Amino acid sequence: MSPQPQKEKIYTRHASAKPSDLTKNLASIMDPDGKAEVLDDVLVLDLSSANFAGICAASIFAEYGAEVVKIEPTTGDPARFLTPFGANVKGVGIPFMFEGRNKRYMTLDVAGSESERETFKKLAKKAAVVIETFPAGDMDAWGIGYRQLKEINPGLIYIAITAYGQFTDKAKQYAKMPDVDITSQAGSGLPAQMGDIPEAGEPFNWPTRAGLWAAWYNTGLSAALGGTVALIHRQNTGEGQMVDVAGMDSYSSMVGMPASIGYTWRKARPRIGVLDFILYPYGHWKCKDGYVGIAAPRDHDFRALLKILGMWEMEDDWRYSSDRIPDILEQALHLHKLIEAETQKYTADELVGKALNYSSKSARSKWRGGGVPIVMKLMTPETAMDNPQWHIRKTFQQFEDKELGKYTISGNFTKMSESPPRVKWVSCGIGQDNDYIKDKYLKD
Amino acid sequence: MEDYFSYTQKLFNPVDAASKPEAFKGIRVLDFSHVIFGPVAARLLGDYGAEVIKLELPFSGDLWRPATYWGKYWKHSNPIWHNITKNKYFISVNLKLQESKELIYKMAETADVVVENFAPGTAEAWKIGYSQISKINPKIIFLSCSTYGQYGPMRYFPGWDLLAQGASGVLTLNGYEDRFFKLPDYLGDFTPANFGALALMMALYYRKKTGKGQYIDQAQTEALMRMLPNFTYNSVTGKAIGRTGNVDPTMVPAAIMKSKDEKFVALACTTESQFAALAEAMNRKDLLTDERFKTNLSRLQPENAKVLNKIVEDWVKTQKGQDIIDIAVANAFAAAEVEDDWMITNDEWRLKRGSVILFKDDMYGELAIAGPSAHLSRTPSRVKWLARPLGYHNRLVLKKFLNLSEEEIADLEKKKVIGTYDDKPGLKPPVYYNLAEDPIYNYGKEVSK
Repeated sequence: MSPQPQKEKIYTRHASAKPSDLTKNLASIMDPDGKAEVLDDVLVLDLSSANFAGICAASIFAEYGAEVVKIEPTTGDPARFLTPFGANVKGVGIPFMFEGRNKRYMTLDVAGSESERETFKKLAKKAAVVIETFPAGDMDAWGIGYRQLKEINPGLIYIAITAYGQFTDKAKQYAKMPDVDITSQAGSGLPAQMGDIPEAGEPFNWPTRAGLWAAWYNTGLSAALGGTVALIHRQNTGEGQMVDVAGMDSYSSMVGMPASIGYTWRKARPRIGVLDFILYPYGHWKCKDGYVGIAAPRDHDFRALLKILGMWEMEDDWRYSSDRIPDILEQALHLHKLIEAETQKYTADELVGKALNYSSKSARSKWRGGGVPIVMKLMTPETAMDNPQWHIRKTFQQFEDKELGKYTISGNFTKMSESPPRVKWVSCGIGQDNDYIKDKYLKD
Repeated sequence: MEDYFSYTQKLFNPVDAASKPEAFKGIRVLDFSHVIFGPVAARLLGDYGAEVIKLELPFSGDLWRPATYWGKYWKHSNPIWHNITKNKYFISVNLKLQESKELIYKMAETADVVVENFAPGTAEAWKIGYSQISKINPKIIFLSCSTYGQYGPMRYFPGWDLLAQGASGVLTLNGYEDRFFKLPDYLGDFTPANFGALALMMALYYRKKTGKGQYIDQAQTEALMRMLPNFTYNSVTGKAIGRTGNVDPTMVPAAIMKSKDEKFVALACTTESQFAALAEAMNRKDLLTDERFKTNLSRLQPENAKVLNKIVEDWVKTQKGQDIIDIAVANAFAAAEVEDDWMITNDEWRLKRGSVILFKDDMYGELAIAGPSAHLSRTPSRVKWLARPLGYHNRLVLKKFLNLSEEEIADLEKKKVIGTYDDKPGLKPPVYYNLAEDPIYNYGKEVSK
């Protein structure tokens, strides 16, 4: 565990002000223990299959207090077997363990059994939200699609997640194509913006996939957000609706850049490696003992960075002072390499110290224009966990499950004073709650 | 029974969106935020019908207004900014003056939601934080956005999307062993902004049930961490997932590959049946009986995954990009071409779906902007107007929402409590546009066209 020598150091002029009573007491005000659960009146049925967007959306509802029933066939959701390098505990993959949050597990084969669809219908009559990821139209053909369920439950919110959505000719033609993270990343525009410059050679200059499930998680988040908008409309009017989420929108609709840049520039952006297309310096550089992230994009931040790296003589060079972010790659790279030559002379801690020292002085000085060059030591997920910041904020929780043993998850992703999300349990055995659901919802 | 897709076409038809109800009608949001993280959280409420009033400093405005790609402006505006701040009311108030605070307190009386993303502690120090606003309006829902959160030893560290990516570990996951890249397009702001908006919506739902407002602290690093099973992987195996380039280590095959006609194609199988379909399409049914590839878990063993991904990669090299996608559609596994800005803007499917919208704006004319990430059949999101010059809605907000008189507005102008734009791109109107004739800019005054 690396200590954080910079903790409680002052970075901005405002930080020197006395913390308000609110700030002083936040750690206890925001503690989720014993707080109300906002969705305690909501029943969610998650039918998603081999799709972590659906699972993530269901988790988010569960973290906000909904009763979430994960429905899968007796063989289990194939998502249980999607796991890095095959790592698993008793046949349960790591991501499935990670997303096992406050859910009930029930076995029903809606794809294969007519009678089990009838059971599902009974549940759906009492549910507020259904989540499904089958090919568009399959649920409808089975008699349990939105069109049929809304007749027995007009307040139902029906969230369908697929690659190309529920309407348009293409959605029909591509209905059977599953929504998978890497294809939805590719089809929604993320990898095209990530990768090295053309001269870097193959495969580095190829479009590059994000090394996390960026498409699945953003699709799941969008599904939860759309579903919550629908829950508010339902709360106000009693009306339900259908929510159509397409994996192929996940990135492009989240950030918006591809549509507007393609339209105004009449071409696609090239890949520019570690450079940024709006801000500079804004990225990561090699240093003596690893990598640092540097953000000094405003003019006064940039000038401050030149000072602390001993590069002040470049200050009046027009190429850098007024045109740091050119679409001429050679010019941008030239400056990048000049900075890299300097950062490599120092360790990460030395660079962080220099920036902190400058920033706290500049915050109090009238003459330095308040430049705040920010330098940080880059974290991997594994090293990020050690930061005391996350201990105090209870970002990581350790659970001990009787089947899966002890493990850690990241939770408590939003702190709220009245109705925060939280994780209460992680167990996720196939059919483990069949009796509970039968007793609670299927008696009449 | 009517064909499913003809039914859904009617259900979702983008043409009908404007005549449908709005989920957040009557909700008023005060948006003190700047750059991307806070503004997008507030915008998401505006997309579904809330009145979002964005406050900016006179003459300089939001730091992100001029921040366009490689400095390329469009009609003196920033095309990216139109995506970040559409559907908002733009009012320009000098937060540093006492009169401005009184104006804000007056607005807070009728507001439902406040969003801010100053450095933690700043809003409190400026007396527009939750402690002060909740005294005026106890039912207020107040969202503070920051990189590390509002409490804890790191809270004062300044924030950018880059720093959240660096602090969560996301930045080190993309790419190759000795070469890696940050997530593009400030995804480290946009995704956390959606988490922030989600929390606001949950708080609205809760307030309707209980009458209680609340304070929300959204740290963008924690939002990014929510998407990383890497922590669990590490706690179970003691190892790190690390960087695996264009190969997804959670399923096999799954990679971005290059086709015969030099197209980049992503291809993936998540289930046994999808893999069987691919093997058949490749004319390699022998793979299905190979012990190494029989189940998901056996294919995932690194040595088997390497062999199988290579076999698929070699097959992709012999096929044209579109052919691979056609085969995937017919056989129900996943394949898609890597799409770039130009392909996305011109994609017929996206235009028909409303995922890319050719919006015709009163001030800027036509611009392609992104549609919503989720399409709702009853209360869809919609675009009403794009971003506006700094201070464009000053009069409308003061007169219509706050009922100020002409004299009071003139007094605020004179004291420089409110102001408008400076002559800079990103802040000013397009050169062809005459604001003197604009009835919204001159709200309540006679204008002649």
